Amino acid sequence: MLRICTFFTLACLLVSVGNAQTPTTDQKETIKLLQQEVEMLKARLATVEAKQQAPAQAAPVQETSVAAPQSFDLMRGVKIQGFGEVGWRANDNRAGQAQVNGFSDGPNGNFATGDFDLFLTSRINDKTMVLSEVVFEAADAQSFNVNLARLLLNYNYNDYFKASLGRYHTSTSYYNQVFHSGAWLQTPINRPLAVEFASKGGILPTQAIGASLTGKIPSGKLGLNYIFEYGTSDTIRPDINSRTGDVTDESNGNGTTVGLFMKPEWAPNWNVGGSYYHDRINPTDTGFDIGQSIISAHAVYTSPKIEFINEAFVVQHDVKGSRVFNTPAFYTLISDNVSGKWRPYVMYQYTNANAQRVVLDDIGLRHGPTGGVRYDFNSYVGFKAQYDHVFRRTPLPSINTVSTQVSFRF
Amino acid sequence: MKNIRVYSIIVCLLVLCVAGGRSKAQQGGEVAVIVNPGNPIDSITTADLKKIFGGDKASWGGFPVAPFIRAAKAHERDVLLANVMKMTDAQYQDFWVKKLYSGSAAHEPLAVMSNGMQLEAVRSQKGGIALISAADVKDGVKVIKVDGVAPGAAGYPLK
Repeated sequence: MLRICTFFTLACLLVSVGNAQTPTTDQKETIKLLQQEVEMLKARLATVEAKQQAPAQAAPVQETSVAAPQSFDLMRGVKIQGFGEVGWRANDNRAGQAQVNGFSDGPNGNFATGDFDLFLTSRINDKTMVLSEVVFEAADAQSFNVNLARLLLNYNYNDYFKASLGRYHTSTSYYNQVFHSGAWLQTPINRPLAVEFASKGGILPTQAIGASLTGKIPSGKLGLNYIFEYGTSDTIRPDINSRTGDVTDESNGNGTTVGLFMKPEWAPNWNVGGSYYHDRINPTDTGFDIGQSIISAHAVYTSPKIEFINEAFVVQHDVKGSRVFNTPAFYTLISDNVSGKWRPYVMYQYTNANAQRVVLDDIGLRHGPTGGVRYDFNSYVGFKAQYDHVFRRTPLPSINTVSTQVSFRF
Repeated sequence: MKNIRVYSIIVCLLVLCVAGGRSKAQQGGEVAVIVNPGNPIDSITTADLKKIFGGDKASWGGFPVAPFIRAAKAHERDVLLANVMKMTDAQYQDFWVKKLYSGSAAHEPLAVMSNGMQLEAVRSQKGGIALISAADVKDGVKVIKVDGVAPGAAGYPLK
């Protein structure tokens, strides 16, 4: 009996010691922070030593009860984050028929590494920083294309005026501004077709080079923000029905985007807004001069538990001397983090392009539901499984797709 | 008699274990919001605190905000995440990964390992702001009210 009691006592003591030590959950993070602090202390020590070695005629330092350090700048240097994905997909889309939602060429059931994304930021000073995103895009036959998705010199004067210069993702959609190329960040496996990158068959000019201005609008608890972008997107779209790599160079002129959105204090998880984009395009081999206007609207609710994203678009192509074509599109996505690790989601998407039109004729009518579940092993690795059903304009058959993906960040 | 003595020792040890756990939870107490003395503000709302530590407010008007936060498992961080951000630590880290990646914020709050470092950081940066246990507040920083209530007064929200 005494032996059992002694063992029990020792166990209690061990638990007590364990509590007293309160280890951090992420030792790597702790080590990183400690390293940062050591670096900062080294810098301060160097400053103090330099002062001590200064000529004796230097003005005496007034002693104060509080020693204010000259610098506490730990944020310099280049910060790198990476995002990657490996997936498998199978569908009943028989060879010779249309692809699904801009999927690349290849067999009907295959593995793919997807995009490998390096995100780099560096602060130049308190108000200026450089942001870049380099994406190694998976192409056919296990080859990769390097895409400088974003390269921006940002100047943040204050909350009301932030200027950027460089290559950016356009504000033609909420999705394009928030999720960019990192599959780990988004709940479903792939982007909805309406907001898919133009280089993968999407209907919007998703990238541009130019200047952008953003900031808050003094509006009290309404939380209004503005966006203004001016640049050239020079969009090259692949024909998503083609298995031979046909593309259309839209030869865009400079495009202008104006946007407005609000994040009201009285509804803190909501983001509601819209944008208007306009440019002129001259698609290769068509001889047409087309005015392109895109109107978008979004209503988004995001909390750690619920994600509810809704976006709608009208893409208008005004063919000079001919007629006007409108392409309506929308998607709605809802997901719920049910137990901290599991996040089931459903989505419905719709895109309807006139088959007789000059551009986007490969899109046609595509709509249908998506259902899936995401499981997060931790804050760095997630697994997704998804089913898509895509209806197309008669007489084209519907397409069923099953996909899985492991996405991660580092 | 011998058994009674052994049981008494075990009970005492168990009480000590429980007390140790409680003292960890209670050691923080109220958390004060401190800013640099050069900052003219005297009060802040929890909504503005959420904006600052959520990257939606990066300027005091004429100078940039420099938020500092304690590393994981610190009482001050727990109070900020539970009472202001309404997130778990993992959710807060994910939130900032997405925030930085979207480009809508330039940098996340700098995490430091001690309250002493927080004090030095806020002293050194005009835009500095941090949450620190009220008992650890020292000279060289300014304690501001939260939602119009000073630390120690009834209704103070950061406990």
